[in-house]
Amino acid sequence: MATETKNLHRKGESFIPTHCSYCGMQCGMNVRIDDATGRVVGIEPRYEWPVNQGRLCPKGVTAYQQVEHPDRILRPLIKRDGKFIEASWEEAYDLIERKFKEIAATYGKDAVGVYGGVSMTNEKCYLVGKYARVGLGTKHIDYNGRYCMSSAAGGFNATLGMDRGSTLPWTDLLHSDCFFLAGSNTAECHPTSITWFWRGRDRGAKLIVADPRETPTARIADVHLDLKPGTDSALANGIAHILIKEGYVDNEYVVQRVNGFEDLEKMVGKFTPEYTSWLTGVAQEKIIKAAHIYGKAKKSVVMFARGVEQQRKGVDNVGSYTNLALIRGQIGKFASGVATFTGQGNGQGGREHGQKADLLPGYRKLTDPEAVQYISQVWGIDPAEMPGPGVSAYEMLDSIHQGTVRAMHVICSNPAVSSPNAHHVWKALEKLDFLVVNDFFLSETAEFADVVLPTTTWAEDEGTTTNTEGRVIKINQIRKPAGESKPDWRILSEIATRMGRGKYFKYGNAEEIFNELRVASRGGKADYYGITYEKIEKQQGVFWPCPDLEHPGTPYVYQDSFPTPDGKANLRIVDWQEAGEIQSKEFPEILTTGRVVFHYLSGNQTRRIDFLMEKCPEPYAEMHPEMASKYNLQDGEEVELETRRAKMKLKVRLTKAIRKDTVFVPYHWGKQLSVNQLTNPCLDPVSRMPEFKVCAVRLRKS
Amino acid sequence: MDRVLYLEFERCIGCRACQAACRECGGHDAKERNYVEYIDFMESRQTFPMMCMHCKDPACARVCPANAIQITKDGVVLSAMEEKCIGCRNCTFGCPFGIPKFDFEKNIMYKCDMCYERTSQDISPMCASVCPSEAIRFIGFEEMMELRRKRAQSNLLQGKKPTEQNKWNFVPETFGVYTE
Repeated sequence: MATETKNLHRKGESFIPTHCSYCGMQCGMNVRIDDATGRVVGIEPRYEWPVNQGRLCPKGVTAYQQVEHPDRILRPLIKRDGKFIEASWEEAYDLIERKFKEIAATYGKDAVGVYGGVSMTNEKCYLVGKYARVGLGTKHIDYNGRYCMSSAAGGFNATLGMDRGSTLPWTDLLHSDCFFLAGSNTAECHPTSITWFWRGRDRGAKLIVADPRETPTARIADVHLDLKPGTDSALANGIAHILIKEGYVDNEYVVQRVNGFEDLEKMVGKFTPEYTSWLTGVAQEKIIKAAHIYGKAKKSVVMFARGVEQQRKGVDNVGSYTNLALIRGQIGKFASGVATFTGQGNGQGGREHGQKADLLPGYRKLTDPEAVQYISQVWGIDPAEMPGPGVSAYEMLDSIHQGTVRAMHVICSNPAVSSPNAHHVWKALEKLDFLVVNDFFLSETAEFADVVLPTTTWAEDEGTTTNTEGRVIKINQIRKPAGESKPDWRILSEIATRMGRGKYFKYGNAEEIFNELRVASRGGKADYYGITYEKIEKQQGVFWPCPDLEHPGTPYVYQDSFPTPDGKANLRIVDWQEAGEIQSKEFPEILTTGRVVFHYLSGNQTRRIDFLMEKCPEPYAEMHPEMASKYNLQDGEEVELETRRAKMKLKVRLTKAIRKDTVFVPYHWGKQLSVNQLTNPCLDPVSRMPEFKVCAVRLRKS
Repeated sequence: MDRVLYLEFERCIGCRACQAACRECGGHDAKERNYVEYIDFMESRQTFPMMCMHCKDPACARVCPANAIQITKDGVVLSAMEEKCIGCRNCTFGCPFGIPKFDFEKNIMYKCDMCYERTSQDISPMCASVCPSEAIRFIGFEEMMELRRKRAQSNLLQGKKPTEQNKWNFVPETFGVYTE
């Protein structure tokens, strides 16, 4: 490929290199500013960034439009008589201090919950954990990554012993021979990835895609395994069955580096192509062909995303797909391995540093006394003060109904749209005695709030994020904060100070927090100690773990051993289990949800961008014409979808590129347009991930 | 300008980043000048980018009664000149690809100018810069020829035979629109 480093320089403008605000690809981009006013005016491709080489998706191209957007909240808002009124920071902090103290005094410190997010820098994510545990002293902390990456984390921890989303750098994909993508529509959800697959395809690499829809990704596959939603573990077991039977197993690797092969062999024995086909609805020939293609490839990568993870068997699904890479002896080698596509910008880094209910920075466990001892010493608190493990995101929202959580601080998240069983969650948010939301646009969750604190966008603060590869990268400050907005870390420090914990939160800038994070993560699994802002700049990002300042970082993990007690990976032995809700006479079809290329997460950001709204203004119900004709539905007509939880009306969109028993609805809208009114809050027993991807639904022409 | 815009329709993922990026180019007045369409959404999600071909003998310019559509020396067919365009919309009907569009507010035609501000300095146009699937590329003439050869090779390797619909993929580079 011809490399190009030339950019267009316009008169009176300059540009600053940074990364996109959206998904886990964290594409490099240059943001243009007007020299005279200092305002953000556009983008310029960043051709030299290795992961995307200047390429961007439509969200990335328009991301800069958030910064100067007229909808920005520029002053704190306090709700009086049901209406938001602008206030000063002092007034807002006074109210928060009074309410938090009141509630903590009456119901205990745990009655204040903190709900974080991972679309923000490592520094902020780290501080959210510290703010909850040290600033407020509550055990109730969790984050929106629970709905995103928690199953991948659970699956990787159980099988490989560590949760790094990818075992190889993305640039290696160019050299792989086979890609097995399960439950990932990467063309729409991580569009800049698709080039790596195409470049592999140009070299003759094969592509296998498992997805109920023939997505733009599945369209170009050699084999498209059009499975029934919720049957991933059966499909993976079925492939493993053929790999073992046909002698594709790397015996040497399995003996040296893997535990539990005999058990796996026994378990998958019954997953013959006939049985697998009967469970998954995929034709036998396709399963056999996929297994042979995958088995024959010298260098193969198994990749998955929310499609397999957002299920009540999410951890099992991740484990059983990881099994395939393990028995083929692919993990820890060049251009091969296993990876998950991180959904949120900092989904990887944000889950490593103590925002999770049961984790402390550096991927330390809150139940491990040594970890508590170490972190307490870094933070300068008494280990006895450290709150215990809390509960997961959905359970925390649910516990509002029991009165356990009375007040909540939501930071960088929009659970009113992203949580399953939305009506239940909306009632919970209404029931809260006091709700504080940090955001830069008035989100659906913020509308429930008593106080909304204006934060900066990603372009108005600096910090680091960790992309889908595990590469720690630097977000640069483009302009000074708009209006009176402040970065989240400053807001959290100031509230902690009001709560009398100011001595633990003395930060002048983001780098000081990062330096504390480096120490806090030192010796943990996600070790950032050797990463500095300068090193990131110099090396175009640093892959963790990076235990000391001389260490160059670790692009490939597990090359010699796995970070498990015996150094061997553990195969996950999974028997067949139905989804949380299956089709019945009453609810005869399957509902699945997902993303479209034009929107990001709850849509609070992308629904305000003109271009993206022109291209995709509202959700729709995508279905096969054969299903539509059963209900006498035509393209563009309105249909009522009803599950055991709620019903909603949507426009029908017909295509043959979907299973005949499945309806697909994108989830980026709030209120009456939110498909999460219908989704099932059935949780994975390990990761506590709700089952967004499968539920039973009935249709009615309306 | 030694480089050409090279399209591979089958790579298109329908994300429309090229359109979003087109609006970002200076002088494009926040209006896109390229289009992405589904071939037939009922049957498949295949999309394709519809770009200006910058024809050698462009119909849009030929049908313009006011000579408003200029062609640069490196072959880029520009938008109508403001002072010359009479707003007759002949070009929008003349172009077989539907590229020229009409701005009813300003009473003037607008179309792709290959990001002339960029390409005249040998910098990729915005659409080719951002296209996440490399369906749109801005590459050297030699590289383009190489790619055409390779595509023909890999098609033959996979045992495909040229048919009336795709024989273009197989023709030798001496027989094509790009040669004199």
